[in-house]
Amino acid sequence: MDAHEKAQRQRQARHRLHAQKARAGRLRNRVIAISLVCFALLWGTVFVQMATGNDPVLGSSSTTRTASTAKARPAEVAVEPEARAETDTAEAELEAELETESELEDESEAEVAAELEAEFAQAEGEAAEAEAAELQAAEAEELESVTSGQS
Amino acid sequence: MSVEERRSFACFGGRVTVQVGGAGAGAAAKAAEVQLLDAHRRLSRFLPESDLSRLNEDPRGAVKVSPVLLELAAAVRRAGLLSGGLVDATLLDEIERAGYVGSRADGEPRVDAPPRPGGQSPRPAAPNPARGWSLVSVDRRAGTIRRPPGLKIDSGGIAKGLLADLLAKELRAYPSYSVDCCGDIRVGGAGGQPRTVHIDDPGGGAPLHSFAVRSGGVATSGIGKRSWVGSDGSPAHHLLDPATGAPAFTGIVQASAQAPTAFLAEVYSKAALLCGPEQASGRLPYGGVLVLDDGSIQVVEAQAPRSRTALAR
Repeated sequence: MDAHEKAQRQRQARHRLHAQKARAGRLRNRVIAISLVCFALLWGTVFVQMATGNDPVLGSSSTTRTASTAKARPAEVAVEPEARAETDTAEAELEAELETESELEDESEAEVAAELEAEFAQAEGEAAEAEAAELQAAEAEELESVTSGQS
Repeated sequence: MSVEERRSFACFGGRVTVQVGGAGAGAAAKAAEVQLLDAHRRLSRFLPESDLSRLNEDPRGAVKVSPVLLELAAAVRRAGLLSGGLVDATLLDEIERAGYVGSRADGEPRVDAPPRPGGQSPRPAAPNPARGWSLVSVDRRAGTIRRPPGLKIDSGGIAKGLLADLLAKELRAYPSYSVDCCGDIRVGGAGGQPRTVHIDDPGGGAPLHSFAVRSGGVATSGIGKRSWVGSDGSPAHHLLDPATGAPAFTGIVQASAQAPTAFLAEVYSKAALLCGPEQASGRLPYGGVLVLDDGSIQVVEAQAPRSRTALAR
């Protein structure tokens, strides 16, 4: 290898080394940029969710309900007339069931109220008895009166 | 009624009743009787050998005395201060001049109607300018009483309430107690149970009023008892107008006072009677009952704590 060839190879090696360093720098910058973007996106999502009042910890049920309603609506729109009749029947049955349930609830409420009333009456009677006993005891323990007159 | 040990005996020219409840009440009531009878022997001005009689005759300015007489002397000064001089326990010569020279215990003739000199209009009593009560001082460390020789102390006006209070200190650990020294009453007890204290009708009828007292004193002063007909034929009694030295006729025949202690109640009731109907209610900061000479009855409600403080000043 002559001197000219040697110098050319050295130049090429320096060039490759420089290119390698530049590539490593670009890669590093890209990784940093992607990390920053991901971080910002993640926290942006959390921020938006919290700002709109949809805290997943506090409002998971309402969020779920909203989602399911949103899903149900397009289905309702797509229902055929026959299918609608079936749905109406089902709804009527459901209403009847609900009414029955509500009647049952009313009955059970009345029963509970009656039970409570009975318990209360019993407690009241016991309290009155206790009061009377206490009064009797107090009367029994009453201190003998004294009279202040001219000395 | 609860079971209380009860002892009733003649003392201080009247009837004393001690009631004590709880374990050991019998011994406590007996000890109380012994203590009160001993105090009577020491403080009666009608017994020549009593500590009080000896003090009154002693020519020295400072005299060493028994603890109970020391308490009485201290109370003389307090009574004068609290009543603005109306309750003056140094008017022994005056009361003897008025005719009260011997004990007028129960069983002696009682004037049925409260005495009042004919034609004389009621007049409030006033303090004696000599302020004999303020000349009495006590040195507790030395156990001596100082007063100008010749100044005599009368135990009649304040000793009963004072002794009821002294006894109350001994009995305070018992669940209940009452000490009735001829109508000057102290009640209390660790149980905190209220006791009904009736106010006697000077006419002998049903009680005029009742207080429910958990702890404190009630005393009644009047001109119906310990009254007599003087040598000039005019009615007289033991409550003197300090300014004149003569029995006071203020328009009130009986005053009862409620107070934290029997001694205070005794001072308040006497001061109320002596100052007359117009000012009497102001002399009853813890409430009381007044009987006027026209037979009317006034129940005085307790004043607010702030007013009581002002009165004390």
